[in-house]
Amino acid sequence: MASLLINALRKIHISTPQIRSSFLSSSAVCSNTLTITKKDWKYPPQYTKPREVWIENVDTVEEKKLGLFELHPLVYAATPRIDIIQRNVIWQRKFRWVSWAHTKTRAEVRGGGKKPWPQKGQGRARHGSIRSPLFRGGGVAHGPRSGKTHFYMLPFHLRIHGLTSTLSAKLAQDDLHVVKDLELPSDEPEYLIDLIESRNWGPSVLIVDDTDYAPRNLTVASDSLPHVNIMPVYGLNVYSMLKHDTLILTQSAAEKIEERILHYLHSDTKKQQAQFKLDQV
Amino acid sequence: MATVWRSQCAFARFFAGKTGLILNNTADLGAKVRPDSISVSKRLYSNYGNSPFVRRIQEQYAYEVVKNPPEWSYVERLLPFEGIPKVTPKDCYPSGWIPRKEEASNLPYFLQRTKNEELSIYLDISCRGMRKISKIKKIEGDIWLLNDELKEYLKNRYNRYIESRVHELAKFIEFKGDYVNALKEWAHSKGF
Amino acid sequence: MGSRQITEKSLAMLRSLPRISIGNLRDNPGHKKNSKRGRGQHGGDKHGAGNKGSGQRMNYMRLGYETGNNPFYLRMPQEHYYRGHHFRRQYPPLSLQQVQLLIDKNRLDISKPVDIASIVKSGLYNFFPDQKHFGVNLTDEGVDNFAAKINIEVQWASEQVIAAIERNGGVITTAYYDPHSLFLLKDPKQFFENGQSIPRRMIPPPDAIEYYTSAKNRGYLADPEEISQDRLRLAQKYGYELPKLENDPSYEMLCERKDPRQIFYGLDPGWVINLKDQCILKPKDEELVRFFAS
Repeated sequence: MASLLINALRKIHISTPQIRSSFLSSSAVCSNTLTITKKDWKYPPQYTKPREVWIENVDTVEEKKLGLFELHPLVYAATPRIDIIQRNVIWQRKFRWVSWAHTKTRAEVRGGGKKPWPQKGQGRARHGSIRSPLFRGGGVAHGPRSGKTHFYMLPFHLRIHGLTSTLSAKLAQDDLHVVKDLELPSDEPEYLIDLIESRNWGPSVLIVDDTDYAPRNLTVASDSLPHVNIMPVYGLNVYSMLKHDTLILTQSAAEKIEERILHYLHSDTKKQQAQFKLDQV
Repeated sequence: MATVWRSQCAFARFFAGKTGLILNNTADLGAKVRPDSISVSKRLYSNYGNSPFVRRIQEQYAYEVVKNPPEWSYVERLLPFEGIPKVTPKDCYPSGWIPRKEEASNLPYFLQRTKNEELSIYLDISCRGMRKISKIKKIEGDIWLLNDELKEYLKNRYNRYIESRVHELAKFIEFKGDYVNALKEWAHSKGF
Repeated sequence: MGSRQITEKSLAMLRSLPRISIGNLRDNPGHKKNSKRGRGQHGGDKHGAGNKGSGQRMNYMRLGYETGNNPFYLRMPQEHYYRGHHFRRQYPPLSLQQVQLLIDKNRLDISKPVDIASIVKSGLYNFFPDQKHFGVNLTDEGVDNFAAKINIEVQWASEQVIAAIERNGGVITTAYYDPHSLFLLKDPKQFFENGQSIPRRMIPPPDAIEYYTSAKNRGYLADPEEISQDRLRLAQKYGYELPKLENDPSYEMLCERKDPRQIFYGLDPGWVINLKDQCILKPKDEELVRFFAS
């Protein structure tokens, strides 16, 4: 596999790279050479081949490839399940929604305590109150009641599956880019717009970083652009990934996502599942 | 009036001394209380008026904090695993469990094991026990080739055609009938 | 000609399809079942309630009533053999085959003594103390294939099981835990996070004392002399040579047993474990020390 890489690189007329094996570390940048990190997986890929992505830069508008990065196939090359992605999106939309629509029942509508006319003898239909649902101005029988929650939890493994499917789909459709770090040279939004234009990234970009704090230049530049958003790793979700056309991960963010998802794929998730399990006893 | 008298008595009780106890309702009835006038055998604590004041409550007990204790290994033994522990290769497995072999990843198809390192071959029984379906899940690679091979294997073994259903996206194959043990033997023979 | 592998094929297909977005998604056919609306030809008119009678008027007979004949729930007479079954202690079974599987898969650490906390920690066995489960019952399924030298502590074991474990050079003890201690053992981490001190284990109730003081059942309150005599008896009965434990390199580990008032190995009652700061708080007050040592 290393020979294939070297051949490919030779075709692009880049000097031969130095292959350094490092234990889960990021690649060091030398001025003219590329580094390829050979990862030491905790859960080695069993059958599907790991994916490789270029590590790009954001220092300059034009693209510079700083190295190659390996991604675990269970996370970034899982069979994309569109139905699971759809269930995740619907869940994200619904579980926080509270419907505030409200109607009054026949008990709450003002009036209607007295029997409007005697039961028999009038030749009219029998009624007990003028606010019953049959009447104009009466209460609503099965109408919406205020503060109706639509909370439900999608099973834990389905949420993980949704994340892996979306990440794999993004990578397969060339919408996933791994970037070394997020240090922009200037804090003008025009720089970001030029960058996105020149690299053919979709108009909307989601930048996922390892930490809560992003560099100042990036924060200021993306502040005025509504379609460029920064997110920490723990905020990664299917809806945001689909809403934004391109997904940019920093190297450390990509590693952390991989590590966490692999951890849950290989551990006993009974506690996470049991938290929201509906009891039928 | 009575309340004032009671509170004055309470005050007297508090500073009365060792036997500052109201042993009966003599204070309320107006009689003066003297320590020797109360007999020890008649201590009645049934109500507020009769029971003595609590003097000293110990809320804090003395304790020592042992940092880096030698017994910490016992505590760590009780905490749950971080992830499922990996299987260390052994000479033999008396329980009859067969581990995965390395050469299995060279085949055009692949059967992934579950989290607990078991084969993903199950028997679904429905329709009051009349319908039995053997399901092989978690298939990677060329599923159609695997389907052909399994059908041939089962036909040779059971001398009859066995219907199967392939679901490519969900990565499983279902066989009509109870062939779970045969399929497991086949999988073990291939090294999955 | 594309790859025939499922994942590669599906990911390659995606490259030629439009970008997956929120407007592009669809669930599997059959996911939605349209509910009957109460209007129109099919849902309206009598709204599924039929004509007249208790079905439409919603004044049904009481549940279980069979219009006069002896109803099903009253036909069966009481059987006095099951009187008080809901008070009896239950011991959910764990077979020796399962224990061997746990050892083979590296889920159970045999180099340390095994008790119910480690069995539950392995993840493949669970019990519910609030449903009158009083511990592990080691059954004799897989007794012929069992080949592991362990120091195990369960709550109930039959003679064959004891023989199988001792034949391999192990040690088995049966111990009683009251329900409160069982809750602690089931989830020690949750208990330590509560900040309570480890309580004392209670002694068995009167009908269980006989079981746990007999050497035949390897009870934890039994006489060690009698236990060693019974080991010999079992070896003679089942025809194996009794291995000498004293010559064993892990003799200390095999002899490690809990005090009758102790719940966890190595941790005494009265201690408070602080997981966050990794320290243990031990009581110094005489009154407390005397109480927890009693």
